[in-house]
Amino acid sequence: MNENDVMLGALNLGNINELFKDIPPDLIVNMDLGTPLTEMELINRINKIKNKNNRKNLFFLGNGIYDRFIPNLVNEIISRNEFLTSYTPYQPEISQGILFSLFEYQSIISDLTEMDVTNSSMYDGFTSLAEAVRMAFRINGKNEILMPENIYRSKLDIIKNYSYGLSLKFIFYNFGDNGKIDLEDLKNKINDNTCAIIAEEPNSYGIIDENVFKLNEIKGPSILITYYDPVSLGILKPPGEYGSDIAVAEGQQLGINMNFGGPLLGLFSFKKEYVHRSPGRLIGMGNDLNGKKAFVMTLQAREQHIRRAKAMSNICSNQALLGIAALSYLSILGSNGLRKIALITMNKSKKLKNELNKRNVKTVFDSINFSDNLFYFDNKELLRKNNVSGGIKLSELSDISKYRNTSFFSVTEKTDDNDIIELSKIIGD
Amino acid sequence: MYRQAYYNEDFLIDYNTNNDYYLDDVEDDYPDYIKREKLKLPDVRSVDVSRHFTRLSEMNYSVDLGMYPLGSCTMKFNPKYSDYIASIEEFNKHPLEGEENTQGNLEIMYNLQEYLKTISGMAYSSLQPSAGAHGEFTGILIIRKYFEMKNELDRRNEIIIPDSAHGTNPASASMGGFAVIEIPSDESGLVDIDALKAAVSDHTAAFMITNPNTLGIFDDKIKEISEIIHNNGSLLYYDGANLNAVLGITTPGKMGFDIVHFNLHKTFATPHGGGGPGSGPVAVKSFLKEFLPVPIISMENGQYKLDYRLKNTVGKISSYYGSFSVLLRAYSYILKNGNNLKNSTEKAVLNANYMADKLSKYYKIPYKKLKKHEFVLSTENTGKRALDISKFILDYGIHSPTTYFPLIVKEAMMLEPTESVTKKDIDYYISVMVKALSTDSDIIKKSPVNTSVTRIDEIKVARDLILTWNKNEKTLNKI
Repeated sequence: MNENDVMLGALNLGNINELFKDIPPDLIVNMDLGTPLTEMELINRINKIKNKNNRKNLFFLGNGIYDRFIPNLVNEIISRNEFLTSYTPYQPEISQGILFSLFEYQSIISDLTEMDVTNSSMYDGFTSLAEAVRMAFRINGKNEILMPENIYRSKLDIIKNYSYGLSLKFIFYNFGDNGKIDLEDLKNKINDNTCAIIAEEPNSYGIIDENVFKLNEIKGPSILITYYDPVSLGILKPPGEYGSDIAVAEGQQLGINMNFGGPLLGLFSFKKEYVHRSPGRLIGMGNDLNGKKAFVMTLQAREQHIRRAKAMSNICSNQALLGIAALSYLSILGSNGLRKIALITMNKSKKLKNELNKRNVKTVFDSINFSDNLFYFDNKELLRKNNVSGGIKLSELSDISKYRNTSFFSVTEKTDDNDIIELSKIIGD
Repeated sequence: MYRQAYYNEDFLIDYNTNNDYYLDDVEDDYPDYIKREKLKLPDVRSVDVSRHFTRLSEMNYSVDLGMYPLGSCTMKFNPKYSDYIASIEEFNKHPLEGEENTQGNLEIMYNLQEYLKTISGMAYSSLQPSAGAHGEFTGILIIRKYFEMKNELDRRNEIIIPDSAHGTNPASASMGGFAVIEIPSDESGLVDIDALKAAVSDHTAAFMITNPNTLGIFDDKIKEISEIIHNNGSLLYYDGANLNAVLGITTPGKMGFDIVHFNLHKTFATPHGGGGPGSGPVAVKSFLKEFLPVPIISMENGQYKLDYRLKNTVGKISSYYGSFSVLLRAYSYILKNGNNLKNSTEKAVLNANYMADKLSKYYKIPYKKLKKHEFVLSTENTGKRALDISKFILDYGIHSPTTYFPLIVKEAMMLEPTESVTKKDIDYYISVMVKALSTDSDIIKKSPVNTSVTRIDEIKVARDLILTWNKNEKTLNKI
């Protein structure tokens, strides 16, 4: 006998429909979701769809999401069913594997950024930035947010969406002709109402801007929020070293596929004095009754399931598994490996700028760049005809009114030198 | 007898086994003023990284090990074909790669939007939110924008929520700038119509509920509720966390809801990954289409597009278009199972009712007998605490239910077996829950003992607050 019939019998029910007799008949629907497929048919169907994607010959996309090489061990680790098919560790005694790993993730990102504390992940870089603004407001209750005039439109959009009810004012500070922060302008805009300053390193032009390192001297009591590039920290000054109060980033580059822009990984770190005002889950270390090292979610009174309407954030599910990917990536590469990846990236940028300049495609700024490089170039059609992915216009990303006819070409350690030469021949003279 | 592995594992930072990941030497002629003083990442051989995580994974419970009946979490089997499909390299596109190069990805997203519309009885959907709570928040922003355009936002500044709601509901409403009005449930655990009528006013923007509710009970007064809300010019929001109870049987659209969010990592079998990534699409009735986040995916003449043409869009809610590889898994699950998804719903509800019926001989199961996909019991009558029973269960190689939720039931345990478990799994689970009642309290208070670690002093963890492996760190609260 079928087990469902046995179970229905135990419930004294004649058929399965009786389990749904509490749903008024006029609410019952007839839904067509199609004929079930065998696994083989499914894979065939998906393969047909996948073949509709193209890959262009030359790839120079970036601006936040990067095609980096991922050591195979990273994927092996995050594919383990014990991690992949577990839930949020509500029962810590039986979930030490995830908790231990996330505690290490918090630690490694704190070391990478030289910040005191890192939470166990947010959705992505942009929502992390928005949550950082909310957190700054909780810390000092002031209402003016100073932000770079060239900030990406989507970042600004999300910050605005996240700050309804806080009545914040967004004030934009200027950049000089060298593409770096105009410190005088910023200084003039800081006042008693300043809640936070958002600074980007590298900035939205792709430039490594040493003026960011000086903000600590002029910020006064306001909160310095830094949006950084995690791979760049293989070589660049980390946010903690120059006085950031909150440091956030997109962590996709740390061993996570591009995935058409998701799922991503929001890195979220801060100074320890702000821990009780912070959003998201935190894993703490302690002991079990036998004195063994043990881990558990802590300070949950900040979170939605306890504090409800007064929670620091509504976040529940986060990006735990991708945090483990980042932890694995950084551990496999080590300090020297990450430093090399960062340097290769910068050297490729240098090479790209040299080759394009030689053929009269001029860089907009004379600067040291990380991955993204801005050129006086504005011809999408030429790129399309020649099978190039890249050339994202600044105006597609940012509302800044300057440099409207400029475009980005981005590199990673995967960018082939021959591809750089080829690009220069296509778009140069 | 169950015995979970335990390794006295070192932190990666303490391994010091000499990194062996080979990379060529690199030229460095950059100025010192941009460089960091020091960087101290772990120094570990790859083989040790691999062993470290293999050992840790053995110290972690998962759906692939056994029953995981966390209520409202829908821990069903995560099919492996979805994992394979999500790993196909051709789908691993850059988000700015352009419509002409990503027609395959866009087709998947378009088709999933269509499926979600059918499943929810709604007219349009957006796949952008990253998780259930993020979907709720998107819904709240849509509610805001809708009333802003009607010039009613100034007065419509409240959202009503039942006291049995998931914690994310009030948190999302409050993040969107609304005041939260909580109403009590009636004696049957459902929406108290009189309390709702009393709470509804000129200030009401929306009512946020899930149906069935967190007690697993379907509210058959839903049409009346919908009328009360809509007659007041307010909107009705559906928390889709419990959609596994009614998928293919009825739809939120039919029930009168205006906005729905889905939890793809619950209802559509994508893996939870120890806490995420999830995915929380939203769907709306046609009069709310113009407010959805952009882009949505549209199709014209067989070509798929990232469509930004929504007049009053709430704008962007996450960095790009949503959690594509999670969407791809969910799409594969729906495409594969098609009309059989209704059978899954039936099995999930049968499993929950069978389990509730058996356990009702031992535990008090409050409110109406007929449940949907989950149910809540109370240990109050047993003389034992829900906490202790939840720890005892772990010793038998099964995961405990959600505990102390919903808040309206004392000593609550919330169980959702899902359709993935069999009668044999359930009977075993019940036998353990029954055994807990006859086990000496001294023993039960010391459980679990077969897990990697025993009970943890959580108060001490919150007091000492050690949040990184940095040994020089002073405990945070003492500074």
